[in-house]
Amino acid sequence: MSQAITAMNRRAYFFVGLFLILAVLMALAGIAFGSSWVSFDRIVTVIMGAGEKTERLIVLQLRMPRVVIAILAGGAMAVAGYLLQKVTRNNLASPGVLGVIDGAALGVVVFLALLSDESNSLVTSIAWQPVAAMLGAIIAIAAVFVLSGRQASSAIRLLLFGIAVAAVAKAAVMILMLVGPIYRTTQAARWIAGAVNEVNWGEIQVTALGLAPVLLLTLLVARRLPPTDLDEVSARSIGLNLPVFRVAIFALAAALTALAVSFVGGVGFIGLMAPHMARMIVGRPVIPGLIVSFLLGAIMLVGADFIVRVMFAPVEVPAGTVTAVIGTPYFLYLLMRKDRTNG
Amino acid sequence: MTRLPRGLLYCGLLVLLCIVGYASLTLGYKLYTPADIWGLLTGASGEAQIVLMQYRVPRVVIAPLVGAALGIAGVVVQTLSRNRIASPDTLGLNAGASFAVVVASVGFGVSSMLGLSAAAALGALLTALLVFAIAAGSGGLSPIRIVLIGVTIAGLFSALVEVVLTVRETMLDQLLFWLAGAVVDRPLSLVSTGGPVIIVGILIAFLLAPSLDILQTDDQTAKGLGVPIALVRVGAFASIALLTGASVAMAGPVGFVGLVVPHAARAMVGLKHVHQFIAAALFGATYLTSADVVARFVIYPLEAPVGAITAVVGGCVLVVLLRRRAA
Repeated sequence: MSQAITAMNRRAYFFVGLFLILAVLMALAGIAFGSSWVSFDRIVTVIMGAGEKTERLIVLQLRMPRVVIAILAGGAMAVAGYLLQKVTRNNLASPGVLGVIDGAALGVVVFLALLSDESNSLVTSIAWQPVAAMLGAIIAIAAVFVLSGRQASSAIRLLLFGIAVAAVAKAAVMILMLVGPIYRTTQAARWIAGAVNEVNWGEIQVTALGLAPVLLLTLLVARRLPPTDLDEVSARSIGLNLPVFRVAIFALAAALTALAVSFVGGVGFIGLMAPHMARMIVGRPVIPGLIVSFLLGAIMLVGADFIVRVMFAPVEVPAGTVTAVIGTPYFLYLLMRKDRTNG
Repeated sequence: MTRLPRGLLYCGLLVLLCIVGYASLTLGYKLYTPADIWGLLTGASGEAQIVLMQYRVPRVVIAPLVGAALGIAGVVVQTLSRNRIASPDTLGLNAGASFAVVVASVGFGVSSMLGLSAAAALGALLTALLVFAIAAGSGGLSPIRIVLIGVTIAGLFSALVEVVLTVRETMLDQLLFWLAGAVVDRPLSLVSTGGPVIIVGILIAFLLAPSLDILQTDDQTAKGLGVPIALVRVGAFASIALLTGASVAMAGPVGFVGLVVPHAARAMVGLKHVHQFIAAALFGATYLTSADVVARFVIYPLEAPVGAITAVVGGCVLVVLLRRRAA
């Protein structure tokens, strides 16, 4: 038995290594490609602190920020999805459908609307924006669960409550955007679809500083997530206070999503697909599952951004559209496949 | 629950519609007096009348038309799918129609209203077929699953619309507001092409009403009673597509009207489709016109898109329906 578990873990960590390499390659490709090609060795030179001026500008100011934010945001959303799917025992759960993304968007828009002065500049530090997003996300997910009440145990019904909450939040965002300054409105359409361009290092720093403790906390909590799916009874029998534990997980998932969304916008379906694949690849073990989710999410978003840049250049199409185009059929497939077993 | 006599109910709704229509003419950024309105009717041509004719009259005509169309489309969709939370938007028809409009105008340079209406109707029809085909292909999905599929497909279409609009950024400004669903700044000429399409859709719906009554039971029973099920379905699809398509072409994807209105109509007049249609048309018209008035004041002095108002209401109604386990 214990040998079997070790073998499983060894296999799982093999995949962790594999996807780590893939993620690094994807990131390098993301930096290398664009309107002008920068070869790998010169990227390394620039990162080491040398290289000529234009290349430094391209790599450090234009390409790297979007790759780094894509890694952080994609990874965070994937981890959030993993947690949500695990704790709701619901393969269809993801930050997008549970209203978390739209809630976070509402938080950000409210924040911008309330705290901008006459000349459209923020009166407080931009570092508060993720906090606002987090607040919105938590309120949204709380609303979904409070409203659904006992129906929350039905995977599919829960999603519909999420859709309803998301619709209301989206409408509120729409209204607030019209109130806001014009530059925000023109940015808004893309921001809602999710785009990783036009991020700067300051925003990345805020995101990274926020993500680090939350991810660490997730790993700590995840150690208590047993490899099997838990129902109420068996959870209690191993001494886990499920309601409290659940709330903690939801809060973590909401925080992760909010941090991801607050500068990148609502990139759909990564939180659904990445955890799925991770579980298919590594199976039950939780910690490797989380790490592979993160890596897959990062690869997906960097990849989506990459596709967008290559296909539509020089226009910047939101990366979220690519994930939506890929994610929709996948979600439909899941919906139809599961029809026989629950609903 | 005892219901009002239908005649009285319809008269009441009609009066309400007139009141709201009058409010829609007078209220707004600038208030107009009854005398101004009277001048409009008697053909005076002051400054007030010109503004009224240009800005207020079109929306007082378009809002009720679209509301009625979406209301009736909602009733047909809900009967056809035997699903109380189905509606043109939860099945993705609005989004499909929007995508078709954007593609037609950006990709094929269609700018005539008739062309755009046709594109919208086609988009709605194809989306309806797609959603129902997926449902049928996987052995008849539960109502909730169909709605999930519809919402997901709607998400896909919105993403595609997004792509088209970002690639053609010049279109974005004009279309962003339209995409939220709005009846403001629409020329009255829209009505001359959208109106007939809606009327045809409504006529088809009324023709199908007796068959739809029977279709509420189940396919077996309906077949036994001599209802040509396939034909009725085709007709119903056509009606839904025409109604939704024309509405989207005129006002953009105004959300959740087709979800809310049929429930109100059923609560008022029961299950007979002829009466459901009349009630849905009257109530839908009143509902959207009032939402349009409200939209002018939510973020006064700016205007909110009416679609945002209906989405807030619709989202709340959906929650209530789900909690009551209407589906």
